[in-house]
Amino acid sequence: MSETMDMIVEKDKKLKEGWEGISRFFRANSLWMLMYCTGCCAIELPQAMTSRYDMERLGMGPMATPRQADVLLVTGYLSVKTLRRVIYAYEQMSTPKYLVAFGPCPINGGIYYDAYAVINRLDQYLPVDVYIAGCMPKPEAVMNGFQDLIDGIKNKTADGWKRYRDNYEWYKKNQVESLGELRIKDEFHE
Amino acid sequence: MNKHIESITQAVQAKFSVVAVTPVRDDQAALDVKPGELHAVLSFVKAQGFRQLSMLTCVDWIQDGEFQLVYLLFDWDKGVRLQVRTRIDRKHPTFTTVTNIYPGVQYYERDVHEFFGVEFEGNEMSFKQLFLENWDDIPPMRKDFNSKAYSDKKFPVREYHKDFSKEGDGK
Repeated sequence: MSETMDMIVEKDKKLKEGWEGISRFFRANSLWMLMYCTGCCAIELPQAMTSRYDMERLGMGPMATPRQADVLLVTGYLSVKTLRRVIYAYEQMSTPKYLVAFGPCPINGGIYYDAYAVINRLDQYLPVDVYIAGCMPKPEAVMNGFQDLIDGIKNKTADGWKRYRDNYEWYKKNQVESLGELRIKDEFHE
Repeated sequence: MNKHIESITQAVQAKFSVVAVTPVRDDQAALDVKPGELHAVLSFVKAQGFRQLSMLTCVDWIQDGEFQLVYLLFDWDKGVRLQVRTRIDRKHPTFTTVTNIYPGVQYYERDVHEFFGVEFEGNEMSFKQLFLENWDDIPPMRKDFNSKAYSDKKFPVREYHKDFSKEGDGK
């Protein structure tokens, strides 16, 4: 009896892995991205999206809302005010979700390393799957970064959403330390 | 200064005790007035055609212990600009609002209050936050605010174990 149980569990596991492999294949080839155009790197996206570099040959396309999107693009520096909204957007997205950071500003602050309103490291607050270097990154670099993301999804290294789920307390602690209160209180939320 | 700017500066000088007149460009002049007279000057030049307040900004003269408020006005009919400037005490920066003359100054007063700490009496809206959320230090555009120290205190810095600037073409 116990042997059959083990067999069932083993079979179940294999089936699950198989399904995950299939899902990863489809996820990697059909990515909908939400562009949070925070900074100047956003200007490189139109070239990458339109006929010259044609992002759609990687199976990527723009999406209107966070709830329908798979990839969040943080294009450039993040001010404290914007980071609050980015956290909102990221938490609204359904798993699996991926985050791509453009330029040096989300890596170490870039030229805004001493600015009072701009954060230095994005990976303290949200998990980053792919960094694209360059100030600003050329469309070739953008395309290369997206290819890296697709490879990461296929070989399971792009697991930022799992890290966010597992280390949720740590991320929240960092967010609160830098932002104070996370709730947005502005004229549109009064 | 062209003839339109000259005529308006002369008219203001005849009516008020202007501290200084500085030509800025051919179509622009700066009038330094006393804080008590600023509202009368603004009402006067508005009646003379300067219907638009393009902007209000502030300059921190930390060594003089003063803030300078700069009102930038524009005349659409003649195409000339005018700066009306006044200096207020830096230790107790309060000034009276000009929203009753130029209602559009509302957001600029909020901006100046947020970044320099100047309080505009009579404009309750100007005490609300505009760009900075949950700000917890002295106003950031003051000259004695240390931006780097605030950034280091508030936002974690990435540590590098290797100095990459010594490599490559940069060495």
